[in-house]
Amino acid sequence: MTPPSSSPLLLVGWDFRQTPVELRERLAFSPEKVKEALGQLRQRGLLSEGVILSTCNRSEVYGVSGPAVEGRDSLAALTDFIADYHGLPGSEVLQAGYRHSGPDAVRHLMRVAAGLESLALGEDQILGQVREAFRLASGAGATRSVLHRLFQKAVETGKRVRSETGLSSRPISIPGVAIELAQKIYEDLSPRRFLILGAGETSGIFYDLLLARGAKNITVVNRTLARAEELCRRGGQAAPWEDLESQLGKADIVVSATSSEEPVIPLDMAKKAIHKRRGQPLFFLDLGIPRNVDPSVARLDDAFLYAVDDLQEIAERNRQERQREIEPALRILEEELEAFSSWFNSLAVVPTLTALRQKFEGIREAEFDEPLARMVHLSEADRKKIQVMASSMVRSLLRTPTEAIKDEPDPGRRLDRAETARHLFGLDRDP
Amino acid sequence: MGILDGNEAMNLAALLCYIAAEAFAVAHIRRDRDALGTATTVLLLLGFIIHFGALVLGAKATQTVPYNTLPGSMSLFAWMLVGAYGVLLLIHREVSTGPFLIPLAILFLAVSLLMGTGRPLMSDPRLSGPLFAWHVTIAIFGYATLTLTFVLAQLYLIQMRQLHRRTMGLLFARLPALDVVWGLHRSAALLGVVALSVATVLGLIWARQNWRTFWDAKVAFTLVMIGIYIFTLLAPRLGLGGKRTAWVSIGGYGLLIFSYTVVNLFITAEHVFR
Repeated sequence: MTPPSSSPLLLVGWDFRQTPVELRERLAFSPEKVKEALGQLRQRGLLSEGVILSTCNRSEVYGVSGPAVEGRDSLAALTDFIADYHGLPGSEVLQAGYRHSGPDAVRHLMRVAAGLESLALGEDQILGQVREAFRLASGAGATRSVLHRLFQKAVETGKRVRSETGLSSRPISIPGVAIELAQKIYEDLSPRRFLILGAGETSGIFYDLLLARGAKNITVVNRTLARAEELCRRGGQAAPWEDLESQLGKADIVVSATSSEEPVIPLDMAKKAIHKRRGQPLFFLDLGIPRNVDPSVARLDDAFLYAVDDLQEIAERNRQERQREIEPALRILEEELEAFSSWFNSLAVVPTLTALRQKFEGIREAEFDEPLARMVHLSEADRKKIQVMASSMVRSLLRTPTEAIKDEPDPGRRLDRAETARHLFGLDRDP
Repeated sequence: MGILDGNEAMNLAALLCYIAAEAFAVAHIRRDRDALGTATTVLLLLGFIIHFGALVLGAKATQTVPYNTLPGSMSLFAWMLVGAYGVLLLIHREVSTGPFLIPLAILFLAVSLLMGTGRPLMSDPRLSGPLFAWHVTIAIFGYATLTLTFVLAQLYLIQMRQLHRRTMGLLFARLPALDVVWGLHRSAALLGVVALSVATVLGLIWARQNWRTFWDAKVAFTLVMIGIYIFTLLAPRLGLGGKRTAWVSIGGYGLLIFSYTVVNLFITAEHVFR
């Protein structure tokens, strides 16, 4: 049981670690549902600002508490709403998720944006998803200064972690490793000639990946030509199996994923192909089980052969390297959290009003007290009268903004007004 | 004396710029940030300009060309190395080989500074004039570019070995692709071949005017060297793979060192300048 939150910053969420996939599927939000749910949350006064991040691995609601939950357990109220919205039992939804408020909520979002909470540690996609979630909420008019600053900071943190640590630098998926290796032989893959052997599921995955990477020259060779032609319907060319040897001599990168029991590229064939290529390197990606390319091809000087096991081993090593980058990433995260917290804490009513009063008192001293000290012709009684008048004027000037901030019932709007006052009166600038 | 002090100070400033450029280049390898690559290039350019000023100032002070003293020729060689690297940067826009190439310039400039002013090597009045000066200067530029090919050929072999052995650490991640390293190697080899060919032709014209013969062992070795580097440029057409070509290139550089040391000291009859 989480205690009622004292901070207006809230997070309730469900991710792949704690929530079974069946429940996650039901807690997911489409873009339309995001807008609708945010509208209802604000209408009911549960949140004054809100952002919903919904991906295949997580559904999370970030928000600034609204007037309807002041003094209540705002996290529980938010969880109940989500359960109701999806028509799910409240207790099940409550137990399967996590709830944070204040700095813990901020830290969680920063971890998410940095890829530390992702299934594939350090993956890049989540940063775009965080950005998109904020864009969607802003478009629905559900964000103001606090979440704007929070998500901006989270995206900055995600970028910093990626550029200053190795958390995302090395690929950890088999296709990612394969592409990285190929790019260490030929930097620009788009003009290269790709030869795909086989037209099954794996070949299809690589065909799509290569097209997405801008490959312009793909040839698919398959024992059944019709299947190769079907795979090539979005680009490239199909060739009959009999052309394998001649096609090999033209290719820069070979992706082999056939179900053949025997190697389809024996050593002699590879040697001939390399000879035809006049020493140009030939990259073999053997994804077949059993292997499609004779393993001794790896010993040829200008041939680079990688099988599934090699790619898996590299991916695992990269995963371990990413693990080592968690500590440096966390250090960045704490720095950014501190920067955000310092801004957010300054928005609290008491520090804002104190700063406002100090600012006005400073002006009074500079504009009245100091000139008054130089007016030697005035009597002591007159001086006192002028000082009282000046103090009274400052109090009158402060009354309206003070009441506007202090008496605002909506906590989100209160923070907004504090932020506006800080900005308008330059409270964060040095005197 | 005052001018010499200024020259020393400029050489030192250039050296510091090169060292700082190397530090940024290494940092760029470790943390792949564009700003670090830009800082490397800016510092290298600054060092190059200051170094040029130092060479001019030194030449004015000693009333002779930089290559007339051993420290001067080493400093000129270091400057040419940076210049040749700059040409490669302009052509390929590839900064990641910097950490391996800049130390050579640092080494030669630092040694030249430690050696002081040095004794003049050439007193023969025939060893002056623009033809001779161009011959030596262009030859030094040729040697500098071929020194870069030597390092690049090794980088190619290192990257190839890493790919074969699946050792994929930081160096693997940051070194450019094989085809990029080979492109850099080709450009450096081409520059070297052109520079050495031009220097040889100029030298032969000068020799015809000043020697009994224009043929000696040094010329023969240089022509063989040029032949080797032309072979590396034509290797793809001849069907020779990258690995073998890289070894041929390294062998060519071995011959260059042999020509610069053993041939100069013991074999040549004419290329002995006193």
